[in-house]
Order: sequence, then C-alpha cells, then structure tokens
Amino acid sequence: MAMAYGPDTGHPRAPRLPAWLGAPLAARTWREFCHLLLGLPLSLCYFALSVTALAVGAGLVVTFVGIPVLALGLAMCRGFGVVERARARAFLGSRVGDPEPARAEPGTGLTGAVWAVLKSGASWRHLLYAVLHMPWAVVAFSLAVTVWSTAWALFTYPLWRWSLPLHAGTDGIQVYGDGTRAYVLDSGAELAVTSGVGLVLVLLGAWLVRGLAAVDRALVRGLLGPSRLATRVVELESDRGVVVDVAAADLRRIERDLHDGAQARLVALAMDLGLAKEKATEDPRAAARMVEEAHDEVKLALQELRDLARGIHPAILTDRGLDAALSAVASRCTVPVTVGVDLPERPAAAVEGIAYFTVSELLQNVSKHARAHHATVDVWRTGDRLLIQVTDDGRGGADPTRGTGLAGLAERLDAVDGVLAVHSPEGGPTTVTAELPWRG
Amino acid sequence: MRVVIAEDSVLLREGLTRLLTDRGHEVVAGVGDADALLKTVDALAADGAAPDVVVADVRMPPSHTDEGVRAAVRLRGDHPGVGVLVLSQYVEERYATELLAGSSRGVGYLLKDRVAEVREFVDAVVRVARGGTALDPEVVAQLLGRSRRQDVLAGLTPREREVLGLMAEGRTNSAIARQLVVSDGAVEKHVSNIFLKLGLSPSEGDHRRVLAVLTYLNS
Amino acid sequence: MTTRSDRPAPAPSSRTGRLGFGAAMWKEVVHLLSNLPVSLVAFVYVTVAVAVGAALSVTVVGLPLLAAGLAGARLVGRVERARARGLLGVRIEEPSRPPRRPGGGAADAVWSVLGDAVAWRTVLYGFVRLPWGVLTFAVTLVALVVLWPALPYLVRAMTNADRAMVRGLLGPSDELERRVAELESDRGVVVDVAAADLRRIERDLHDGAQARLVALAMGLGLAKEKAAEDPRAAARMVEEAHGEVKLALQELRDLARGIHPAVLTDRGLDAALSSVASRCTVPVTVTVDLPERPAEATEGIAYFTVSELLQNVSKHARAHHATVDVWRTGDRLLIQVTDDGRGGADPTRGTGLAGLAERLDAVDGLFVVHSPPGGPTTATAELPWRSRTAAHR
Repeated sequence: MAMAYGPDTGHPRAPRLPAWLGAPLAARTWREFCHLLLGLPLSLCYFALSVTALAVGAGLVVTFVGIPVLALGLAMCRGFGVVERARARAFLGSRVGDPEPARAEPGTGLTGAVWAVLKSGASWRHLLYAVLHMPWAVVAFSLAVTVWSTAWALFTYPLWRWSLPLHAGTDGIQVYGDGTRAYVLDSGAELAVTSGVGLVLVLLGAWLVRGLAAVDRALVRGLLGPSRLATRVVELESDRGVVVDVAAADLRRIERDLHDGAQARLVALAMDLGLAKEKATEDPRAAARMVEEAHDEVKLALQELRDLARGIHPAILTDRGLDAALSAVASRCTVPVTVGVDLPERPAAAVEGIAYFTVSELLQNVSKHARAHHATVDVWRTGDRLLIQVTDDGRGGADPTRGTGLAGLAERLDAVDGVLAVHSPEGGPTTVTAELPWRG
Repeated sequence: MRVVIAEDSVLLREGLTRLLTDRGHEVVAGVGDADALLKTVDALAADGAAPDVVVADVRMPPSHTDEGVRAAVRLRGDHPGVGVLVLSQYVEERYATELLAGSSRGVGYLLKDRVAEVREFVDAVVRVARGGTALDPEVVAQLLGRSRRQDVLAGLTPREREVLGLMAEGRTNSAIARQLVVSDGAVEKHVSNIFLKLGLSPSEGDHRRVLAVLTYLNS
Repeated sequence: MTTRSDRPAPAPSSRTGRLGFGAAMWKEVVHLLSNLPVSLVAFVYVTVAVAVGAALSVTVVGLPLLAAGLAGARLVGRVERARARGLLGVRIEEPSRPPRRPGGGAADAVWSVLGDAVAWRTVLYGFVRLPWGVLTFAVTLVALVVLWPALPYLVRAMTNADRAMVRGLLGPSDELERRVAELESDRGVVVDVAAADLRRIERDLHDGAQARLVALAMGLGLAKEKAAEDPRAAARMVEEAHGEVKLALQELRDLARGIHPAVLTDRGLDAALSSVASRCTVPVTVTVDLPERPAEATEGIAYFTVSELLQNVSKHARAHHATVDVWRTGDRLLIQVTDDGRGGADPTRGTGLAGLAERLDAVDGLFVVHSPPGGPTTATAELPWRSRTAAHR
C-alpha cells in the first residue's frame, strides 16, 4: 500500500544489552531527550506568533484586512510544520510526509491563494498544533529535565561527592536538617543506596523520555501529516499507475508471444508451402513430404494460438462465468482440485477477469512448487467484497515477498483495492486468501 | 449421409462443405448462426428429410459466445435422431458435460484442429451420425484429471488408462485396437478389466459404455 | 497531482430557463411545496439519530449507533440531491465514500463514518432545512393563491437559495474529496479498458488468424491424402494453402500491430509514428521532439492517440495534408494532429473521439478538438509525462 511515511528508523542496532538495560545509553534515548529539550523554546515561539496572528486576524475580520492576515498566520503555521517535521525526522526518526499543499485555482492570483490557504484543512490543523503543542511542551520539558537530571545525578553521586566539601561546605547531600541536627549521605552504604536509587531512576527515566517522545511523534503525525484523504489520493494515483503499467506490459507480452510463436511458425509454414508448390510437378514425393511437414507445422501453430488466446482471455469466462472457467483451470492443474463457487450473481467483467487470473496464477504455483496431493478453490461474496481462497496440502513455506509470482499478484490486487494474504507455514498446509472489491 | 453445417466463418463453412462433399456426403444446408440452424433443422425435419448430423461451431453471431452449445443442446432435445457434432477453438469440460447430459447418443465435441486429420474427422462425423460419440482427447484428459475417483484411477495400469481414454472418446473396440496396434481380443480384455476395477457393469453399445465411463468420472 | 480544468461545472441556474410560467417554474413550485414534508422527515431523523447516538456514546453502544445514524444521513443527502436534480436542474457530484483501510475491522469502519465530514454536513443541512421548509411552503402557498403575478420572481429567488444550500452542504466537500472520487472512477475506467482490450484481442484472434489456420489445416490435410492418388489436385490445394497462409500472416501482423507495435518498443515514438503516418491515406509530416523516451505506458497511449486520430483523418477529413507534432512542456507530453480537411469533427458524437477522450481523461490527460466546419481541424492531446526510470520501481 502506498504509505506516506515509512516506519520509524530510530531503533538501536542489535543491542547487546537487553532493551530495558540498554535504553539509558541508547543513542535513541538521548536524541529523543534533545528533542524534548528543544521543544519548549520552539513551541513558545510558535504559540506566541500563531496566537498573535490568529487574534489579530480574527479581530480584523470585520474589516477587509483581517482575512489576509489570518491567511498569513496560517501560512506561517505551515512553515512551523516544515521545521517540526524536519525536527521529528532528525531526532525522532519519524518520517512524516508533507501534507496536501494549499493550491489555488489557476489564474485567481493573490485572492485565490489567500482563499486556498484559508480553505485547506491542513492549515487549520497546523494552527491547532502550534496552539496545543505549547502546554504539552511545558509539561514534557519539565518532566524530562527533572527526572533525567536527578536520575543521573543520584546514580553518579559517589563520583562527585568529593566536590561537596570543597565548594558547598557539607560532606554530602543533606537529606534532612533542622539547624541542630543534619542527616547527610556520607557513609559508604548510603552512597551505595543513593547510587542504586539513581540507577533505578535512570532505567525508568529512559522509558519516560521515550514515552514523552512518543506523544510528540503522535502529535506531529496526526496534525502535521497528510490527511487520510490526501493519503488516499497518493495511493490511488499510484494504483492507477500500476494498473496502466500492468495493462501496457500485458499488451507487450501478448505481442511478443504472437511474434515469437504463431507468426514465426507461419513464416516457416509459408516457406514449406512455397517449396512444395514449386516441387509439386517435378518431384511429387518431395512435395508430399513438405506438405506433411507443413501440416504438422500448422497444427502446432493452432495449438500455440489457442494457448495464447486462453492466456489473454478465456472465452468460457465471458460465456459462463467464474464457476465454469475455474473448473476448466482446475482440470488443467497437475493435482486434483475441488472448486466451489458460491456467488449470487456474476460480478463485473473486469472483476471476473482479475479473480480468474488470481486463481489460475495460484493454481500454477500449486502445480509447480507445492508438491500437494489435493487443492481446493473457494470463491464467495461477503458484503461488498469478493473472496477467493486457495488451499493445498503441500509442503508450505510459500513466501509472498520472495519470488515474482506472488509478489506480482499482490501488487496487481493492491492496485484495485484488493488484498492478498498468504499463510504458509513450513511443512504446510498453505492457504492463500485474496479479497477484491465487489462490482456488479 | 446428410449434413447441416453451422459456422459463421465463410472460409471454414466452405472448407467443411468441400471436405465432406469430397468424401461423398451431402451437405444439405450451410448456415451462419444458431437461429438459422434451429430453423433449418426444424424445416427439414417437418419435410421428413431430417439431416443425419449437424456440425456446429460454438461461437456464432449475434453474441459470439456459446450459441452453438445452446443450440446443440436444444437440437438434442427436439430431434433425438439427429447427431450433433460441436466444433470449437477450445474444448471445455463444462460444455462437454452439458452436451452429454442424459445421453451420449449421437453427440460429438471436438477441437477445430481435428479437421486437419481429414480421415479421422470424417470418421467422427460418421460415428456421430450413426448415434456414436466423439469426444476430443483434450476433454477426456480434463475429465480424467478432474475426476474425484483418483484413487481408483490410480489402480489402472498405464495401458488400461489409455484404453479408458479412448473409450471415453467414443471409439469402438476395433478402432482402439487399430490405434494401439494390438488385437481386438487384447482390447476386450482391457475393457473388461477396467469395468471390473471401476465397479461398472459392462454395457452393450459403444455410446452406452461411454456414458457409463463419463458418469463414473463425473460422479 | 494535477488539477484539471475540464471538470464539469455545476449547472448554472440559467439552465433552468427564463422567468415565466413555464414547466421549469412549476417544477420549482413543486420543489418548494415538497420542502416542508421532506425537511420535516429529515429533521426528525437527524435529530433523533444524533441525539440518541450522542446520549448513548458514554456507553459503548452509542458510537456505532451514531455511526449508523450518520450513514443514514448520507442517504438523506442522496435523496435531496436527486430531488434537486429532478426539480431544480442542479447537478451535484456524489461525494466520495469515506476512505477506509482495506481489511480494517468494524471499529475502523465506525471511526471513518464518525469522521466523515460529508455526513456531518448533511446533518447540519437537516437542521437548517426545517425552518426554511416551513417558510417556503407558506410563502409559495400564499403566492399561488393571491400573489400569482409575483410568483415567478418569488419562486426563482427561493429556489436559488435552495440551490445554494444543496450545493454548499450536500456537494463533495473539497478538492481532495473530488480528486478521490475522480481517481476512483479513473482507476475503474483504466481497469475496464484493459479488460475490454484483452477481450477484443482474443476475439480478433479467434475470428481472424485462428479461423484461417483451421481452414488451412483442413486444406493441407486433404492435400496430404490426395498427394498419392491425384497429384494435380494436391498441387492445386497446396497453392491455395500457400495463399491462405500468406493471408493469415498478414492478419496476425495487423493484429500484433494493433496490440502493441514492436517498433514502438524497439525504437520509440518517432519511428513508430512515422510508420503509422506511412499507412495514412494522406501525406503526413511527423515531428517528434522529445529529450528522452517517456515511460512505456505513456508511449503506448501517445501512439494509440495519434494512430486513432490519423485513422480519423484518413476516413473522414478529406484532407490533402496532415501534420503530427509531439513535444514535451514541463511535466506534460503534448500531441497535436492537424489536417487541412473539411472540419466539423465533433468529439461528443462518434465513438472514436469520445472513446479517446475517455481514455485520456482516465490518466489525467486532456483532449481538445478544434474543428470549425470547412476546416482546418486541430486535435490536441495532453498527457502527464512519466519518465522511463520512474515507471520501473
């Protein structure tokens, strides 16, 4: 599926320590901490600027000037979004795609641009981010800085206690004191306990940092990313490209098959016949042999053309629908196949075609790789989806990410909002389920 | 033998007419679509001059889908005495099942390619006209491959499987013997073995035994 | 993403006719009178659905219930759009369905309906319509009885408000939504066209080369049998078969060219278009000015566009000369075919040009024909440029 953003890439590489131990030292934790540190000053700027722009713009809306001011403010928020997305990419390793641009109708000039910015939902989501992020940044910043610095300070206490008598005039951290008595951490055991508490805090703090960063990540993704609709547009555009490319590739393949197969054979045939024609009177026996050759040739050409035509579009599919066509495919499979088609009516011709080629590709896979004794094909409809399931009792281990067959099939199905799911444990059995949108 | 040909390609219609005429058969009518075929046969039958056999293409106008098969099924219902041989660029086991529904008397279903072997093709036409059966080896292979009785079929020797296939195509014992270059007696022995292994009672008449075999494979 | 300017604009209100006591006005009157009952039903429905759903949303049942209510509201929108289309002549595109992740569960479905702006706007529509429905009903009734000279003006004014409401609240919400609808239909067209192409090719093969080969096989079979007994007849048959096989080859070649010309794959547009031009009945000058070869699919579409247009020139234009120009501007591939024929080509009539326009439209292309009677004719097609490397992912 076309994704607007990829998976997070901030994972530490093959940690030797278990994750809960390694977290405080992982580069990722420190990057995320930096992100939280930077968050406060930046979000203060965003907040101040955007709230000012919003207030001025909204206040002046009754006059004419307010509207462009508001638009300018929104455009500025979109600018913040660029910075924030870059920051999230650098520190959080979260790749968030650009939101849909505010595009003016061509030829409408400045008013068009103003209107486009105001109308775009993404602009307002950016404004919302600028406003919402400030209180959050305050909380996150305080929590992160307090917990993280305290934790490390306690943990490393034995290392820096020596500086206290020199600079602070005490022997250690004073836990309690009322002028006469003071409880100071200075014995060896106390040092150890303090450092131990610090260690626990460090271990927990790392996860706190990560948790806070996760909220930031969600905020960026939810408010600064492309909307669901925009994602869908990107997806559909790529789908359409795939469909067009696949169709073009199909036609090229057919042309090549014709050229290499039947056409070549017919040329040979024409030559044979040409010779036979010449020889007919002078050497009837040689002519007869050539006619015989030509005869064999033409039978082969017919066979080839038939196979080619069946690969293009099986006539029985148009005539009788999926049930009959799939039975024919099943009968050509090398293993016995049980076909069950349970459809209340025939789907659209294009859907039928895709379903047919899906099953025929899957059964070819079964024939070639599965080493199965039996396979079943089931086709049925649930709501507005057409479901296809092909199972075999073979050796399993089919992997849709390897090999071009299943991967190509998955891509073709994906392009029409279909889904291909393969369940094939080592040793079998294999179940492949394909789902297509129903069109009547 | 009196033949009616239904085929929309003029080229093929002429070719078939020439081929059958050449072999001394009479082509009483050549038509280009299924409606005309049904009307012609009805008219001929009303005059008491029903043809012996109809040779029909599957894909014909107006819709260019499976008119031929539908017309053939109707003819078999309306005129049981008329043999029907269906020709097609493809053979589909589904159409074979439809054509054979109920009876395998006087019915044939062949790939168009088979006309290349002129003698065998004419033999098939004659066989169908006389009430026999002519099924394309491809259909038979599909039926054999698809049959749910794989366990029993696996119990046949390769030779017996071969004989079973030829039997399903509608050939007589002597024709099978010729094809396999063995004696008639050997074929008879194979046939009775096959019937024994499949648990079928031996039927008389070639088309009856074809039917038995096909029913067995389809069940 | 490209914005297309050829999107059908909402029908202007002038389309509904001049002011006066025509059929159009009576339709408008019917609309205004039916406002009251319809808006009453709509109001009751949305109020109940939203109130019940919202009230129960503290429990778990509420949200799905609210979602169901909203889905129903979309239905109200559909009815209202149909009513406006029938009586007011306002053509509103259907809003696209809320996008769903394929394979998403019931929770995803509920969530996507709850966030569906179209449904919420329809709810708003249901709320504001009731007072308006009461008003229009009353005013129209009064006007029908006492103010009939002013009736056309009143009716037009009120229905214009109706039109604005329907357009504003029941139409597809924005550019993106329209784009999704458009792309979905595009994808459908592309899929259907590809499937139809394959069926046509199969049919052509069946009726052409396959039939001819069967005849040929039959002839050769006969010749083989005759060879010994009647060599002269056999020789004649071989001669016929020879003619036949040459015809079959010709047919296959034409078919293959119609599927995808090999020269296009091997040499690109320039060479392929020159070969199309040479088969045209009028002299054609071909100029292809491209810095590099576009993606294969784009090349294919460009090729078939030109070959279809030149076929039209051959068949209908009665021209003395034609030119074909192909060039690139920015991210668009432009194709222009002109001829000095008699003009009068109409892309809305005839399947050739209309089909071409549809095919191009489905890939974000544009097709414009300028063909005044008497000529000359200029057909311009525009395609999004996709480079060869981008297509191979």
